[in-house]
Amino acid sequence: MAVDMNMPVLVVDDYKTMCRIMRNLLKQLGFANVDEAADGAEALQKMQSGEEFGLVISDWNMEPMTGYELLKQVRSDEKLKGTPFIMITAESKTENVIAAKRAGVNNYIVKPFNAATLKAKMSSVLGDF
Amino acid sequence: MPAFDVANRIRDALDDIKAADLDDPRLMEVLSLAENLVDTMKIFFGSMDHSIIDEFKHIAQYINRTREEIAELRPNDIHGSRIPTAGAELEAVVGDTERATENIMTLAEGIMAADASDPAAYKEQVDNAMMQMIEACSFQDITGQRVSKVVATLSHIEERVSRFSEVMGVLDAESEQSDKEKWQSENLLNGPQLDGPATGQDAIDALFDGETTEEALGQDDIDSMFD
Repeated sequence: MAVDMNMPVLVVDDYKTMCRIMRNLLKQLGFANVDEAADGAEALQKMQSGEEFGLVISDWNMEPMTGYELLKQVRSDEKLKGTPFIMITAESKTENVIAAKRAGVNNYIVKPFNAATLKAKMSSVLGDF
Repeated sequence: MPAFDVANRIRDALDDIKAADLDDPRLMEVLSLAENLVDTMKIFFGSMDHSIIDEFKHIAQYINRTREEIAELRPNDIHGSRIPTAGAELEAVVGDTERATENIMTLAEGIMAADASDPAAYKEQVDNAMMQMIEACSFQDITGQRVSKVVATLSHIEERVSRFSEVMGVLDAESEQSDKEKWQSENLLNGPQLDGPATGQDAIDALFDGETTEEALGQDDIDSMFD
């Protein structure tokens, strides 16, 4: 099935600059409908408020709600649990990667990354585009 | 009055009584016993006084030495000047890098959105933007100098604290975490590793592609620690 390039993508990161970089990369990949949240709580609130995001790309280290906690909340929410979720972090300790995978993350990207890596991971989650 | 002086005064008083030529032999016997008792106590209290005085002298010397060592630490200089300066330098680094990033990104976005229908005008716009990007990269020189100052401050503190700890024979006490610190240590990651990612993107990809197992991923990491 073809990927809907107009689907809303939610970028969750407490660094505005990173959100802006992600917005630009996604735009280059053809995804112009991008929303942002500064932490897991704001992201969850946006997701539960009605808009159906086709993909969540989240950082791990955020306060008060981390990306990992957001992932667990999303996966335990009947309406949201099917939302594709990619974790992006600067740290990739084995136990954290495994914890995220067990919690249901669809893919995991280590910072710094480039557009090609982002496209490859998004393709593995959404299908080729 | 020290015990030694008290004993001497009692002994003098006993000598005076004896010199008064008392007739009662029992009283003289009591006086002699008292005299022996005073002599014994004089020796006992005398040695005790000396040990206490020595102990207090030792404590006073230790306190003086501690004060001198603390003065060597220059705590007022560290607290009042070096730490605030280092903090301000780091904040400036964050600000410098953020401004440079914003600047470069704005220029890049401008190029991506530029009208390329007029090649000459487009080239001029791209050239101008590229030149400004190169200029913006000069932040690295400034931030490098700021970070060097912070590193020097940390070395200064580390050197003095280590010396103090060594001289005073200080052992690390158990540290108590605040609620916020506990939450952070339990929920947040430590950030980027110094020697690159602990688990490389290729290893993570293999796990998500089903080409390896969690156990194998862990073993590779353990192996890499011994390679």
